[in-house]
Amino acid sequence: MEHYLVKDLMVPISEYAVVVVGTPLIEAIRVLEKAQEVYTVSKYQHRSILVLDENGHIVGKISQLRALKALEPEFKFNDEIAEMRKFKFSETYIARLQDKYRSHRKFITDSVLREAANKKVEEFMQAPSPGEYVADDCSLDAAILQLTAGQHLSLLVTRDKQIVGVLRIADVFAATFHKMMTLK
Amino acid sequence: MNELEKLFNRIVQRVNINLRELNFDVNPFAIELIPLDQMSKFYAFYGITPDHPPELHFEHSAIAGSYFLGKSRVRNSLLYKSDIRGDELKHKDQTISFKNLTLTLTKDEIIDIEDSALIKTLVHNCSHDPETLEKFFIKNTLAMDYSNIHGSPSDGCFLAPYATVDLTTMRDCVIGAYSYIQAGEISHLNVDPGTIWVNSPGNFNFFYKYPLTLLDRYVSLSPDKVPWGILIDFIEERKVEFLRVFDVVNLEAIESIPKTSSLDRYAVVLPNIKIADNVLVSQRAYIENSTLGQGANAQENCFIINSHLEAYNVTAHGAKIIEAELGSGTFVGFNSFLCGKKEGRLKIGAGCVIMPHTIIDIEQALEIPANQLVWGLVRDKEDLAKNSIALEKMSGIESSFSQGEMHFEGNGALFVKAFKERIHHILEANGAFFADGKNAGHAQKNQKLSLNTIKPFQFGPMEGMYPNIRILP
Repeated sequence: MEHYLVKDLMVPISEYAVVVVGTPLIEAIRVLEKAQEVYTVSKYQHRSILVLDENGHIVGKISQLRALKALEPEFKFNDEIAEMRKFKFSETYIARLQDKYRSHRKFITDSVLREAANKKVEEFMQAPSPGEYVADDCSLDAAILQLTAGQHLSLLVTRDKQIVGVLRIADVFAATFHKMMTLK
Repeated sequence: MNELEKLFNRIVQRVNINLRELNFDVNPFAIELIPLDQMSKFYAFYGITPDHPPELHFEHSAIAGSYFLGKSRVRNSLLYKSDIRGDELKHKDQTISFKNLTLTLTKDEIIDIEDSALIKTLVHNCSHDPETLEKFFIKNTLAMDYSNIHGSPSDGCFLAPYATVDLTTMRDCVIGAYSYIQAGEISHLNVDPGTIWVNSPGNFNFFYKYPLTLLDRYVSLSPDKVPWGILIDFIEERKVEFLRVFDVVNLEAIESIPKTSSLDRYAVVLPNIKIADNVLVSQRAYIENSTLGQGANAQENCFIINSHLEAYNVTAHGAKIIEAELGSGTFVGFNSFLCGKKEGRLKIGAGCVIMPHTIIDIEQALEIPANQLVWGLVRDKEDLAKNSIALEKMSGIESSFSQGEMHFEGNGALFVKAFKERIHHILEANGAFFADGKNAGHAQKNQKLSLNTIKPFQFGPMEGMYPNIRILP
């Protein structure tokens, strides 16, 4: 286990769900489902989609959480909450505002789903932060620390400044605890 | 490169260094904004009055078209058509209460401007920062057209056009166009355009933000362009009248002004006006075909056109009132734009508080009942319903409420009280309650004001710069 490197556990980029900016949400989900169908290496399915710009660089990631956020009719509401914090409103006030907002919104309606289906991925994707990159020859120990410290669900694996794969928390979890169970 | 350009580059560099954490570059804005070629064309002037004896110090600066009153020091700075009003600074031995402390000033307060560029900016009031009682500092700061630095020491900040910072110490902040901030102390804050924020920690917090697409019509700013929009055009269209009052050495006095009222020599006054007792009209104010009732005031950069102000009306710095009738005691906050039409006038009932940076721009007649609080953008009755509340109802709020784009948290009664007390203080300071030789304020004291002019180098490498000057009483 201590000799494991990131590249031993990563999913190669070629096996991952990848779309380009401008892709509608519905199309991105189809790409994800297709990637899940053909991926048989692990019992853990892909749960996110990578977004590339026109030059092939990864500019964002869509997790299940981000995809659900795209259903919110006013995605900007989250910006408003961030703004309330910036301008010193209390957490109590913000919680009250969220309740008020939720009680007035219904997400699972045909019109909301239809509208969300056509949203472009760049509208709700999450740009990778500096702490989300890990070198493919990095030890798994260091990668675990990086996952837990940043509370990431996956890390982008690099080799010579190129993204070559994705290190998923599910694979790290499985490898780590399989090892634990082999101990006497 | 002449001295003026070197000075300009140095100021921009200083502001940028302070704003590096916000990743904000003032350079593109500054290049189009600061009219270096105009800096040798306008004289600067200062007031002499027994109440506020001049104590001025200019060093390595350009101060074209700017006005100074009271005690100030300007070093390595570039001021263009700005007003530096030191008539409300604190005095030696004055005491200030802060929490459970009583602080005593060891010397007279001074406005201290260093390494800054202020363009058509108003600096007024006094420092409300208990850490810097004797010095109202403005350093490493760039303030653009019609911004107000009101009782707000500033270090390393950028104020976009029509931004106001009021009673707030600011460090390393960007204040967007047409934003109004009153929050005591802010640092490393990037404020979007059209943000109205009044925060008194522990007491109340008021927040409103203009929808950007709607604000753009009124004031817009982008790199490499001079600011544009209805508010900018409105002033440009009346620029010629100001050129007349600044060009002529001796203007004809207007006989109909009562002895208890003051009409500044650098205000534009066009027929037909009626001015009652205890009225103050400040420099760069513009009054046309209007009535200012007893105790009303029109502060710097105000425009009052075809309007009637009943009595004790505060028209704060930069506010504009067109085709309107204002009841007694109405307050119109900083940079507000109240624009009725000839065929559809605006009526505002007595005792209303029009929040700073409010835009009321109507096509059809609109009447606002007495004692309302109004904010944000109002174009018709629907907007008014969304962006106003009765002061009495506001006073009853004990925890929070939101309405439209407005958010409020805290004690509504304290919020209303703070506004009402401040309005009373402004009227008092401006001399609205003067009677029987008592309660004199700016309206009466300014009558003992005379003006002197100073000019810059006209030729050579120092063209546009002013010689180092000290003026003492």
